[in-house]
Amino acid sequence: MPVRRIAVAPQVLEFASDDPVAEGALAALYHAAPLSTAVPTLRYGLRRASGGTGYVATSPDRPPFGPASLGDAWAYLEWRATEDVLNAPADGGVFLHAGGVEIGSRLALIVGDSGAGKSTLVAHLMQRGHRMLGDDLVRFATADARFSAVGRSLKLDPNSLSSMPLIARTCSSATVGTLLAAGCWYVSPAAIRRTWQAPAGRPRAVLLLDAASRQGPGRLERSSDGEAAVYVTQKVLTAADGAAARKDVTVRLLDGLADVTAYRARGGDPAAVAEALEREAAA
Amino acid sequence: MITTGVTQRPAARPDLVLRRVGSEWVVYDSARAKAHVLNLTAAVILTYCDGTNERSSIAEAIAREVPDLDPTRIKDDIDDALRRFADEGLLQ
Repeated sequence: MPVRRIAVAPQVLEFASDDPVAEGALAALYHAAPLSTAVPTLRYGLRRASGGTGYVATSPDRPPFGPASLGDAWAYLEWRATEDVLNAPADGGVFLHAGGVEIGSRLALIVGDSGAGKSTLVAHLMQRGHRMLGDDLVRFATADARFSAVGRSLKLDPNSLSSMPLIARTCSSATVGTLLAAGCWYVSPAAIRRTWQAPAGRPRAVLLLDAASRQGPGRLERSSDGEAAVYVTQKVLTAADGAAARKDVTVRLLDGLADVTAYRARGGDPAAVAEALEREAAA
Repeated sequence: MITTGVTQRPAARPDLVLRRVGSEWVVYDSARAKAHVLNLTAAVILTYCDGTNERSSIAEAIAREVPDLDPTRIKDDIDDALRRFADEGLLQ
């Protein structure tokens, strides 16, 4: 059975299917993550349902999902794989619910609640030639207090593609690594740019996105550096076991954020916010 | 004015961790899993809350270490900071 193994450190994920259509879809699952030959720690499957109607997804310690459409079964696997990675021991690191982009030689973390527009802004910045750490998930290593990339696909609202012609063209031409599933476009950063991955480092800026601040032209306003850092510490997704571990992660995160300048994005135009972020980075 | 509940020689809890972030400071209280944002003056005041310094010596240190601060405000700033530290449970 054809399998694909990828590394989402420290886990090795295996995706398997004996169905050619499902196999093609699985190629879009964590498409940008590096291939691995190591023993898998998490195994997933996507196969045709008996009788040939729909697909069934399998994941560790869960009952099979389906029969369902290929897109729904694929989206289920993407969700399960991400949850499993977040819940597994992170080996000296944690994952954060945040986006990250390298602008010039400076990293910017992008934080905000779900639906605040992190993925759309990251996609705009990618389209403008910048490399990324992630649109919704970044890794933080406590040993050196540095943030690094996760090869997860950008999850984009189809409506947002109208303002991103490069990415819209990538999707419409069915480039490997792009997939429309459960109402969202999943777009591999590697499908947009061959060198998509920003090097690990410490951010120089934190940008807060707020879904309630979308009125008026897109712009940045200075914000409290300390409040932004505290907000980032609340975005740790990996469970830290005990008060001592929580303290270690929090303090190391504050160390990693020592040199940030915080901004709050205003306005409803992500392209204008992207331009404003570029101007700040160049200043 | 002497703040109720704050001793003459205030002492910060030894388990607190203070870190600079950008132009501000964050003190992390691991016992309550809570972080507090401080400005420079408050952060310096906290570092002098070691149980040996009276308010007057803290005021002298603030005048020395934060020269941009209006001298007439130092006493009020110290009172405000100590009241806040006490309210947040950051003092012993």
